[in-house]
Amino acid sequence: MITATALSKSYNTTPVVSNVSLHCEPGTVTGFLGANGAGKSTTLKMILGLVRPDQGTATVDGRPFVELPNPGQIVGTLLDASAMHAGRSGRSTLMIASQMCGVSQGRVDYLLDLVGLADAADKRVGQYSLGMRQRLGIAQALVGEPAALILDEPANGLDPEGIAWMRTLLRDFADDGGTVLLSSHLLAEVHATADHLVVISGGTVVAAGRLDELLASSTIIVASLDPLAFAEALMTAGIHYVTGPDGAFTVDTAGGHVTTEVLAQLAHDHQVLLTELRHSKSNELEDLFFSVTTASNSTTSGADVAAGTDHGATGGPRVDPTRVASNPHADLGVEAARETSSKDAAA
Amino acid sequence: MTASLTTRTAAVDAISSRPRPIPFIRLVRVEWTKATDTRAARWLLTLVALSTTAMLLVPLAAPDFEHTYGSYLVGAALGLSVLLPVVATLLFTSEWSQGTTITTFTQEPRRIRVLNAKLAVSVLLTCGGTIFGAAVATAGIGIATASGNVVDANLSIGVIAGYLLFVLLNVLAGVALGALLQNSAAAITAQFVLPATFATLGTTSHFVSNWIDISTWSWILENDWAGHVPQIAFSIILWIALPLSSGYARTVRRDIA
Repeated sequence: MITATALSKSYNTTPVVSNVSLHCEPGTVTGFLGANGAGKSTTLKMILGLVRPDQGTATVDGRPFVELPNPGQIVGTLLDASAMHAGRSGRSTLMIASQMCGVSQGRVDYLLDLVGLADAADKRVGQYSLGMRQRLGIAQALVGEPAALILDEPANGLDPEGIAWMRTLLRDFADDGGTVLLSSHLLAEVHATADHLVVISGGTVVAAGRLDELLASSTIIVASLDPLAFAEALMTAGIHYVTGPDGAFTVDTAGGHVTTEVLAQLAHDHQVLLTELRHSKSNELEDLFFSVTTASNSTTSGADVAAGTDHGATGGPRVDPTRVASNPHADLGVEAARETSSKDAAA
Repeated sequence: MTASLTTRTAAVDAISSRPRPIPFIRLVRVEWTKATDTRAARWLLTLVALSTTAMLLVPLAAPDFEHTYGSYLVGAALGLSVLLPVVATLLFTSEWSQGTTITTFTQEPRRIRVLNAKLAVSVLLTCGGTIFGAAVATAGIGIATASGNVVDANLSIGVIAGYLLFVLLNVLAGVALGALLQNSAAAITAQFVLPATFATLGTTSHFVSNWIDISTWSWILENDWAGHVPQIAFSIILWIALPLSSGYARTVRRDIA
C-alpha cells in the first residue's frame, strides 16, 4: 500500500535522508521510529509529494502520490496539527477538507463527534489546545474515508486518555484492513500501537521488520575463561559485543548472522573455553532502539548503508549488520550509549 | 469517546469505485470558501466596499467636479484597486503563512490546479467587485442628479472596458506578487512600496514613468490607448506575466518543509 524505495534528500549538501526504504501492508500499523531530526518528517513528505526526493521513489496504492486522482480518498494525512488556519472554526476546517474530497458534509458532524470536538466545533482553531488540534487533524485525515493513514507524531499534545483513544482508533483501522504509517519519537507509543517497525537514525534505516521479531532475543550472552582472548576473537570476526559487569559479553546477533553456533565455532577456533552461551531474554524496544541508533550515530556518513536490502514487512526483521559491527564504541557499554541517545531523543 | 464509537469510524469502507480526479469547479468552490469564510477575510471585503464607496464621496463633496458616469467609474476603480488586490494576494500567500499548504497539496498534489482555482477566484472577486463598484457609481450619479448637478450619464463600451480591465489588472498584479513571494507580509508590503517607489523614480526618469510605473494603467482607465499600447503591454508583462509565471514555477517546485 505504501512503499518507499531508496529515498534520499539533502538540504545544502547536508544529507537529511539517505537511502530510506520502507513498505507498509494493509492490515498493519507501521511505527516509524527515530529521534527528533532523524529524517522522519522529510521521509513522510517525500512519500506525499510535498518534498522532492533527490533520489528514490515512493508509491501509495501502486502509484506515485502526485498521480493519485483524489488522494484524500486513498490516504489520509496528518503532518502538522499546528498548520491549520487559526481564524477558521474546527467545523469550517473539516468542511473545506470534506468539500475538497467530495464526501458528504454529514461526515463532518460525525467526525467532530468521533474525535470529541462536537462541543468546540464552532470555536476558532486559534483557541484550540495542541491536543484539540491533533484531534481535529485526525478527523481531517479520516474525512475522505481513506484506506491508509500517514501520521507524523500524532500523539503530540494528546493527554494519556487521548493517546489511548488514538491507539484504539488506529488499531481498529488496521484491523479493518487499513494501512497505517505513523512516525514517533516516543518508544512507548510505538510499542503499544505498532506491529511493524522501521527505525531511522541519522537519515538512514537502521532496523526494520515485525516488532515481535525485532524484539525477539537479539543478543547472546557469552562468558569464557579467557575474556581477553575471546574479545580479540570477536573483534577479528567483526562481531559487536558489550562487556557486562560480570565479565560476560553481550553479543549482537546482527539480525541472525551471529548465532550460538557461530560463537561456539569461534571459541573453538581460538581455543577459548566458554562457560556460558545462551540467548538473552527478549528485548525491550528501548534496548533495540538504542542499540541500533547509537551504532549508526557513531558512523561518520550514511554512504556505507547496505543498499538494495529488502526492508519489506514480509522479509523478516533486519538490523543492518554493517552498521552494528562498525560501531567503534562497541565497548562503551550500554548505559553510556543509552545516556547519549536519550539526550538526542529529548532534544 | 467509547470504543464502539471508534470502531465504527475507523472502519475502512471498501473502495468500490476508483476515486475520480477532483473536478476543477470543486477546487474553485473550495478556494472561494477559503477566501471568504474567515473573519479576517470578511473584514477585508467590507473594507474594500467601504473604500470604494468612500471614493465616490469625493465628486459629491467637491464643488467643481465634472459629473460624468465615466468619472464616477474611475473613482470606483481607484477605490477597488486599493484593497481588492490585497484580497487576491492573501488568497495566494495566506496558505503559506498559515502552513495549510501541507493539507491543500496533499488533497490535490497537482499544485497548478490549485493555483488556477485561486486565479479563477481572483477573477470572480474582480467581477463581484466591479459590479459592486458600478452599482455604487450608478447610485452616485443618481444622487448627483437628484442634488441638481449637471450630469453626463452617457457611457461608452470603451469606458466600461477600461474600468473592468483596470481593476482586473490591479487584482492580477496582486495575484502575481502573492504567487511569487508566497509570504503575506512581504507581498502586501511590496504591493504598496513598489508602485510608490517607481512613481517616485518616474518623476526623474521618463522611461520609468512611461514603461515601468504601474500608473501606465491609468491610460486604460481613462480609455486613452492611442500611442500607449506598447507601454501598457510592457507593464502588463512586467507586473503580471513575469511574476505570475515565476510564481507558478516556484510553487510547483517548492519543497514544503
